[in-house]
Amino acid sequence: MSTILTYIAISDGKLKRSSLEVLSHCKSLADAAGASCEAVVIDANASSFIEGIQKYGASKVHVVEDPIFKNHMNTPLLKALSKVMSSINPSVFAFASTEGTKDVLGALAANQNAAVIADVASFKLIDGGVTAKRPVMAAKIMNNTEAKSDKVLVSVRSGSYDLNESPESAEVVNIDFSMDDSEMKSTLREIISASGDTIDLNEAEAIVAAGRGVKDEDGKALISELASVLKAGIGASRALTESGVYDPSLQIGQTGKVVSPQLYIAVGISGAIQHVAGMANSKVIVAINKDPDAPIFEVADYGIVGDLYKVLPPFIEEIKKIKS
Amino acid sequence: MPDVYAPLQIKEGELIMDADRMVLNAYDASAVEEALVLKEKHGGEVEVVCIGPAKASETIRKALAMGADKATHIIASGDEEYDSASYAKILSAFFKDKEYDVIGLGKQSQDTDSGLTGSMVAEHLSLPYTTNAVGLEVENGNLVVKRQGDSGQEMIELPTPCAVTCSNDMNDPRIPNLKGIMASKRKPIDQVEISSLGIDETELQADTKVTSYEEKPARQAGKKYEGEAEEVAREVAQLLDTEANVL
Ligand SMILES: Cc1cc2nc3c(=O)[nH]c(=O)nc-3n(C[C@H](O)[C@H](O)[C@H](O)COP(=O)(O)OP(=O)(O)OC[C@H]3O[C@@H](n4cnc5c(N)ncnc54)[C@H](O)[C@@H]3O)c2cc1C
Repeated sequence: MSTILTYIAISDGKLKRSSLEVLSHCKSLADAAGASCEAVVIDANASSFIEGIQKYGASKVHVVEDPIFKNHMNTPLLKALSKVMSSINPSVFAFASTEGTKDVLGALAANQNAAVIADVASFKLIDGGVTAKRPVMAAKIMNNTEAKSDKVLVSVRSGSYDLNESPESAEVVNIDFSMDDSEMKSTLREIISASGDTIDLNEAEAIVAAGRGVKDEDGKALISELASVLKAGIGASRALTESGVYDPSLQIGQTGKVVSPQLYIAVGISGAIQHVAGMANSKVIVAINKDPDAPIFEVADYGIVGDLYKVLPPFIEEIKKIKS
Repeated sequence: MPDVYAPLQIKEGELIMDADRMVLNAYDASAVEEALVLKEKHGGEVEVVCIGPAKASETIRKALAMGADKATHIIASGDEEYDSASYAKILSAFFKDKEYDVIGLGKQSQDTDSGLTGSMVAEHLSLPYTTNAVGLEVENGNLVVKRQGDSGQEMIELPTPCAVTCSNDMNDPRIPNLKGIMASKRKPIDQVEISSLGIDETELQADTKVTSYEEKPARQAGKKYEGEAEEVAREVAQLLDTEANVL
């Protein structure tokens, strides 16, 4: 029986929802194909996540636990993933397309001589491999990409699949891992963490995103207030991460993160193609912009033409009323 | 790469670009820029390498006009069905017997956004590497890279030789001036045939293949609310609750 394996990413001590989305999808693929749906978790506290993974239908959970995985580093992660692949020999190995995944996916494919399709919007099994849909040309169009190989790696954009619980009393398999200091190819000196905001944009139900129209502290305060009323994550356009107004981790778009919340409010963002590439899959999009011809209105469900400094205060007040 | 901003059409699953021009990938431009900055600070030489058909020479000239010292053009016919893995194998074969301190690459290409080639090359050459770099410094002969991770930035120290893939958040690539453009015409471009790199042709056969293109399911533009700020703000807030059900 062939195996469809999902890599479960841990970020800031939590299961990444996007990898559980991938696992949910792999479970349905495996059931339809009569394949075995398995998962692997690699972390300093890997075993503490087993229960959370079992809920989504993996029949085996492979666990690689070692203190070295406390922070992301590509050398040990690549070594662990290679070992996992060689011992499990999955026909498909699926990942959520996180920055952690992007750091190792190509190297893993080269190391394992596997075919790889990165950053897909959807994928399914075909005879002898996998076919996937990928946004290309700055996400203006899609292509269909086929990988024909007995080993296919695929990474999936967050929000592409719904979570689907199907609890399974999974068998737990511990995989030995050790790494010598001498094997480390690079040194992690320090991690500069995003200040304040802790809502993971890939998982946020709502996002308030600020663009160049947000000019000063007053504007930032309005953004923060709206986000807090909505329990939303704060995102930003490149204009504001580049100028240091917002932390670079908050950038949404082709260079930054791809998000798909239920509600996306773009404030003072023009809607450049590279920004839209990262947010066009949001369920409901609201745009606030003083330029009636701003391209952001072409993708917005609700467009408010106006000065954000005049629009946001009554908008926030009204939402507070509705929420109370 | 093809110009992603040029008009395009899809006919029966095929992608048709109106303009047949090649441009320098924005992420590669950032890699070139950073190499030039390192050279200005620490000395050395900046060499660019490009795999592409004859018309890709324009993009090589652009990198030379920015200030790169010399270039290698690995000639592809443009009809090959290469994927990231094929390109990585060609680059690795080229670099195998070369001396270098750092191989800088774009973190992805603007047309496909795959972001695979860099770490593939590093793996083939057994190099220390990192991806998604937003800052580079040289300290005691090592490369110190600021990498944008999922939630924070990692400061990573790599011994040389190493590979690093660059984000366009790293810098603003310089626009070549007239002097640079004139000088670029005199700079050498070494032409290399793929067949001379000693790779078995079958090795280059792609495991992945684009079978067709299609339109994205279009988002309908919704309604625009213009008028008195206070009024439209409250109206839309109400609609988010009663109509869109997202509050
Ligand atoms: C390869 C590449 C990758 C890129 N990746 C990304 C990416 O990941 N994410 C990203 O965001 N960008 C990205 N960009 C940059 C992108 O092209 C745009 O430059 C950027 O998105 C612009 O940000 P902005 O909309 O905030 O600023 P602008 O385009 O300057 O727009 C500001 C908007 O604010 C409005 N405004 C001004 N004042 C007010 C006010 N008082 N009230 C209401 N509205 C107001 C204006 O009408 C305007 O529409 C990328 C570019 C390249 C080349």
